[in-house]
Amino acid sequence: MISITNLQASIEGKSILNGINLEIKPGEVHAIMGPNGAGKSTLSSVLAGRSDYDITGGNVTFLGKNLLELSPEDRAREGLFLAFQYPVEIPGVSSTNFLKTAINEKRKYHGLEPMEATDFLKFMRSKMEEMEMDKSLTSRSLNEGFSGGEKKRNEVFQMAMLEPKFCIMDETDSGLDIDALRLVSAGVNKLRNSERSFLVITHYQRLLDYIVPDFVHVLYKGRIVKSGDASLAKELEVKGYDWIKQEVEAAV
Amino acid sequence: MTFLEQIKSDFNLYTAQASDDHFSRLRKEAFAAFEQLGIPTTQLEEWKYSNLRSVQQGNFTTSCVSNLDADSLIKAGVLNTIESNKLVFVNGCLFPELSVWLETDERIKICSLAQARKDFSSIFDAHFGKYINFSKDGLLALNTALMSDGAFVFVPEGAALKHPLMITNITDANEHALFQQPRNLIIIEKNASASIIENYMAVGAYTSFTNVVNEIFVGENASLEHYKVQRAAGNTYHTNYTQLHQLANTNINQVTLTLDGQWVRNNLHFFMNGENCNSLLYGLYIPDGKQFVDNHSRVDHAKPNCFSDEKYKGILKDEATAVFNGKIVVHEDAQKTNAYQRNQNILLSNTATINTKPQLEIFADDVKCTHGATIGQLDEEPMFYLRSRGISEQEARRLLLNAFADDIAEKIKIPELVAILESEIERKL
Ligand SMILES: Nc1ncnc2c1ncn2[C@@H]1O[C@H](COP(=O)(O)OP(=O)(O)OP(=O)(O)O)[C@@H](O)[C@H]1O
Ligand SMILES: [Mg+2]
Repeated sequence: MISITNLQASIEGKSILNGINLEIKPGEVHAIMGPNGAGKSTLSSVLAGRSDYDITGGNVTFLGKNLLELSPEDRAREGLFLAFQYPVEIPGVSSTNFLKTAINEKRKYHGLEPMEATDFLKFMRSKMEEMEMDKSLTSRSLNEGFSGGEKKRNEVFQMAMLEPKFCIMDETDSGLDIDALRLVSAGVNKLRNSERSFLVITHYQRLLDYIVPDFVHVLYKGRIVKSGDASLAKELEVKGYDWIKQEVEAAV
Repeated sequence: MTFLEQIKSDFNLYTAQASDDHFSRLRKEAFAAFEQLGIPTTQLEEWKYSNLRSVQQGNFTTSCVSNLDADSLIKAGVLNTIESNKLVFVNGCLFPELSVWLETDERIKICSLAQARKDFSSIFDAHFGKYINFSKDGLLALNTALMSDGAFVFVPEGAALKHPLMITNITDANEHALFQQPRNLIIIEKNASASIIENYMAVGAYTSFTNVVNEIFVGENASLEHYKVQRAAGNTYHTNYTQLHQLANTNINQVTLTLDGQWVRNNLHFFMNGENCNSLLYGLYIPDGKQFVDNHSRVDHAKPNCFSDEKYKGILKDEATAVFNGKIVVHEDAQKTNAYQRNQNILLSNTATINTKPQLEIFADDVKCTHGATIGQLDEEPMFYLRSRGISEQEARRLLLNAFADDIAEKIKIPELVAILESEIERKL
């Protein structure tokens, strides 16, 4: 699906990603954990194509294409999706119109006709039911005045609508109440299949009880310093990051 | 002949045949004021950014002769899609063939100003020139002294216009440079209501200078929707002074859309001369190329318990220049005033310029007033968010600019006008 080799990125001369290596195969779920400021959101932004960062080295192959050469919109059309840690509010842009535009631009890119308005509405309704989304949310402006949790759920709803191949979820669980966490996880699990891969960034083992990952990585100072299976997350929950930090410092 | 010589000679022609009545005396007074004041120059604080020098040096025809026929006028854009009463003026004179009349209430009088002076002289005399003060404004004086024709609208006590009235002014500069001075008098009496669209179009390659004055009276408990749509493209100079005089318990919703025109200066003056007035002033300007747009407004809160809300938004491209100058004056008597004012601008290029100056002058102590101005680019964050969902940069920009304009668009109660606005935004991108 995606293969990241020695990826390095900096912002305003400050190096943030210091050589990330990660290989994700179709159908796999990888979790990334790590202390605040480790570079997790930077990694997801760089993959999604945010232009603030300078890529200073390495490369990323996504479904056979050089990801770093694609515009953000083309990355999305190729099947990459980022559920943002902080989704922005866009007053005046209707959620429905936004989703329709996004779906039809993707279809156009793949040489397909735009979706008929009625088909689109039917599709949206079925996804809303599937994700247990409140109807009133899609009739409002995009994320405007949404609560923190509603914004996160809306990200997952968009993910369901756009049917990406590779989903990056940046702390989608933070800010969710216990019921919403269960709903969001159930939604993600419905989307899980042998073709679709996930990169789940989280601080909490709790999410990984619902969305059980195949691999867990620890990101620290812009590097993946430890990888393991789901049990690594449990270990971190108990022990925190200090022992890993010490291992890293000792190795230097 | 220079422009000023032309004006003088036109005025001499007028006085030679004018009878000595109230109307002509007012015009003479106005001309004397104009001779003192002249065409405003950038020396005046209020005209600092608005340079009319090339108009002063222009060589204009002031006759309204035009070879355009009804078909070409319709093609030029009389906003046919809007079901409305219509008055069409070409180069300042009424074009009667295109008048449309849909109302059944015969008490409502709508005609040309020249006609009204003959047929409804007592109403005319009771209102004409009563709300403006030309002693400090050269262009206001010049219009009063040498006006072309314009619309007369009289909606008497308790009456309501069932359909909007659209007053279209078409500039035909196909044959020569043109100077015209449309003058509209709008009287909405007690408990009456109306919706009025002023629509400016232009054809032809010569320069034109259009100096409009609107006098609008809104009586007690009356309400008015007033739209100004500026689409007079080409080598056009346009100045406009709109004076609204409102009495107690009136509601006015005014929207100014400046879409086309080489050089546009709008002066909007609300005078709230009664309690519990509601005055809404909204505007959108989207200049590109080398367009110049100046929106000056003044809102006088003269009596207590009135509300005014002003919001002007601009999207500037290329080497366009815009000016916003909004003044709220709260008089000593006007306790419990609520007055809001905002000016927000998006610059789409480094070469576009905006000068914005919100002003408050408050002489009462128990008031709530806020004002503010912003200037910026399209925000990066929403842009990236939309693109990260597969939406192209171009489409994302369109969505965001429409969203920015939406605030103003939603104040327009005529859907066809909203559609025109949206297609103009589309075209300008
Ligand atoms: N625009 C920026 N300008 C300067 N520094 C930045 C910028 N963006 C990120 N950084 C820095 O890069 C580092 C990594 O930030 P990042 O947001 O990727 O961390 P994170 O791992 O996602 O943290 P958290 O768990 O708190 O979300 C931080 O030290 C942050 O301050
Ligand atoms: Mg983060």
